[in-house]
Amino acid sequence: MISSHIGYYSLVLGFILSISLLIYSLFCFRKNNKQINQNVFSILFLQLFTVVISFISLVYSFVISDFSNETVYNNSHTTKPIFYKITGTWGNHEGSLLLWLLVLTLFIFLFIVFSKKQPTKYRLLSIFFQQIIICGFFLFLLLTSNPFNFLFPIPNEGLGLNPILQDPALAIHPPILYLGYVGSSIIFSASLASLVENNINSEWAAHIKKWILISWVFLTIGILLGSVWAYYELGWGGFWFWDPVENVSLMPWLCLTALIHTIIVLEKRNLLKSWTVVLSIATFTLSMSGTFLVRSGILNSVHTFANDPKRGVFILFFLFVLILLSLILFFIYQDKDNNSQKEFFLISKETSILINNWFMMYFLSVVLIGTIYPIFLEVLINEKISIGPPFFNKLLIPFVAIFLIFMTIGPKLNWIKDNYRGIKYLRIILFLICLILSFYLIKKTSSEILFTSLLGGAAIYLLLISIEDLFKKKYNISQVISHFGFSLFILSILINSLFSNEFSANMKVGQEISFKKEQIKFSKIKIFEKENYKSVVANFEIIDEKENVISLYPEIRIYNQPNILTSEADIISSVFSDKFMVMNLLKGEEIFNVRYQTKPFMIWIWLSAFLISFGGILSLFRRN
Amino acid sequence: MIKLTKLFLLILILVLSFQKSLQANNNSLLINKISKNLRCLICQGQSVYDSQSDFALSIKILIKNKIEEGKSEKQIYDYLKNQYGEWIVYDPEFNKKNLVLWIFPLILFTFGGLLIFRKVFIN
Repeated sequence: MISSHIGYYSLVLGFILSISLLIYSLFCFRKNNKQINQNVFSILFLQLFTVVISFISLVYSFVISDFSNETVYNNSHTTKPIFYKITGTWGNHEGSLLLWLLVLTLFIFLFIVFSKKQPTKYRLLSIFFQQIIICGFFLFLLLTSNPFNFLFPIPNEGLGLNPILQDPALAIHPPILYLGYVGSSIIFSASLASLVENNINSEWAAHIKKWILISWVFLTIGILLGSVWAYYELGWGGFWFWDPVENVSLMPWLCLTALIHTIIVLEKRNLLKSWTVVLSIATFTLSMSGTFLVRSGILNSVHTFANDPKRGVFILFFLFVLILLSLILFFIYQDKDNNSQKEFFLISKETSILINNWFMMYFLSVVLIGTIYPIFLEVLINEKISIGPPFFNKLLIPFVAIFLIFMTIGPKLNWIKDNYRGIKYLRIILFLICLILSFYLIKKTSSEILFTSLLGGAAIYLLLISIEDLFKKKYNISQVISHFGFSLFILSILINSLFSNEFSANMKVGQEISFKKEQIKFSKIKIFEKENYKSVVANFEIIDEKENVISLYPEIRIYNQPNILTSEADIISSVFSDKFMVMNLLKGEEIFNVRYQTKPFMIWIWLSAFLISFGGILSLFRRN
Repeated sequence: MIKLTKLFLLILILVLSFQKSLQANNNSLLINKISKNLRCLICQGQSVYDSQSDFALSIKILIKNKIEEGKSEKQIYDYLKNQYGEWIVYDPEFNKKNLVLWIFPLILFTFGGLLIFRKVFIN
């Protein structure tokens, strides 16, 4: 009760501080002081403090199961383990928006603390733009999604948290993803400020690059965690479904990846200024529309939009204002006498980075149109279509293959102008060998041999080239690691999708079925009572041709609040292959639907995705 | 570099000689393949393959029967589209209605290519 009051009023206070910062930062901007007024720091800190207090109050309400709070009532339950009471705070619409706000205020505070070497006016303007975003979020929370609404009479028990969200990976997935999303807000505010101040140059690029890297690393790891969760919790054995909710996190990632490359051109050559700003704006817009699209439920069905028109309208209006503002600023302050006198040479690192951007924008456009096209079609002509993996595979695979080949060349080129060093026949032979190998491995399993073997061949080729580069000191180690990770990533996904085996059958206890060279034996079943669910654990024995026995224990959980069944897969990972088993209850409670899969190179997918982000982490800690 | 190429040739030969014949296509693989490309209409964003709902199970049996009748993959998709509408397949058709969907990224790609061409050659 009392914590909800504290939480609500500190939100209101934070909003007032936000308004005052908007005015005060402009006031200081006009005064041309050399240093930022100490008051600005104080207000920023106070604002962060109010949001922290508000967030803690909400967490506290969840911990003590204060059902006078509507958010807690809707999303918690007294029998839930304490860990999930806490993480349930951001497992819902209101709480996750509060977390957004927390990260927004935290980032601007850190940004101001760590940008002391930058021009004062630029820093003040960054605060101003960031406060516009923060202000919008405060309003959105207070007007449409207040996490501290009261319920009366106070219910005795809450409705509970969806059990599939009660999972450690999913508990930390949203905060990390948000750090990535919200990190892009700093990039957005800073590039607008820099645009207005006509301050976009190599020095600025070196300073903002760190922030780009930070959000990129968090975004990458956030997406990875979500994917790991989908793999073991959704129980389908897949890890990426081209589901709208996933696509929405991939889009800012693609944009940010393009930006990481472009910012290097700006840093080293003082080129591509306008393009850098466009990418910064696009990244943040995509992050924000992503969160909103997911949160407002537009994506799952167009109709849920109408359930809460207030939220939908606010979102649209806010997005519209931000995009309009940035476009206006962009056209007014854009560097007119562009440095077009500086030349771009065909064989140079700049051009290869442009090619990277070219492909990134293409991938982005595919994901974007694949995600929103069904919405438009339904609204405009009231026809429903589904866009899934076949569409994305068709439009992406050929281009990714070519992209991989460019990745073997681009990073090796020099800035400004590289000399044409003649055709390297040995490389071409190596590439052809990779192609033949890939074709031979793939031909029996895939229906679209041409592009798939090109993709495989290119991935193996890039893998070899980047292994070679790893042992040369000449190249940037963090870049080589990320690119190496990327080739390994594509290759592992390819192998995984081509060579996965699966077996599905309805089985009773004691039954034995042979599958390929293995025997699958359903030996016994046990039932346990847990804190907030009943657990049905089966024991399967997989006996291979050499009589080795492996036991797998898939589980069915019957949650009491809310009353939902979940299937927990049992996975045994080894270096080269995962054994994945999941079961479902069929009617009658004696027969189970069992699905057993062997999935090669699963660990390598996770490992390579981590390697990609590790390159970024390494680059953060390296001194130039 | 030469070493690397040689080593790789060796690996290639080894792989080629030890390759075992991979599994032959059979019905259950085809059922899986088809059902992965179908949306379970009553579920939240699941394919027929992933879902255990009654709807998904009945579609799987239907696919099995159609295969046994000797229908091709395409005939099965067409049949299902007729029955449940285009929404059931994850692979949108290439037709007038979906033209923008398929063409937009390719146009953007061409346009981007032209921009880069201009930047590099016409300066």
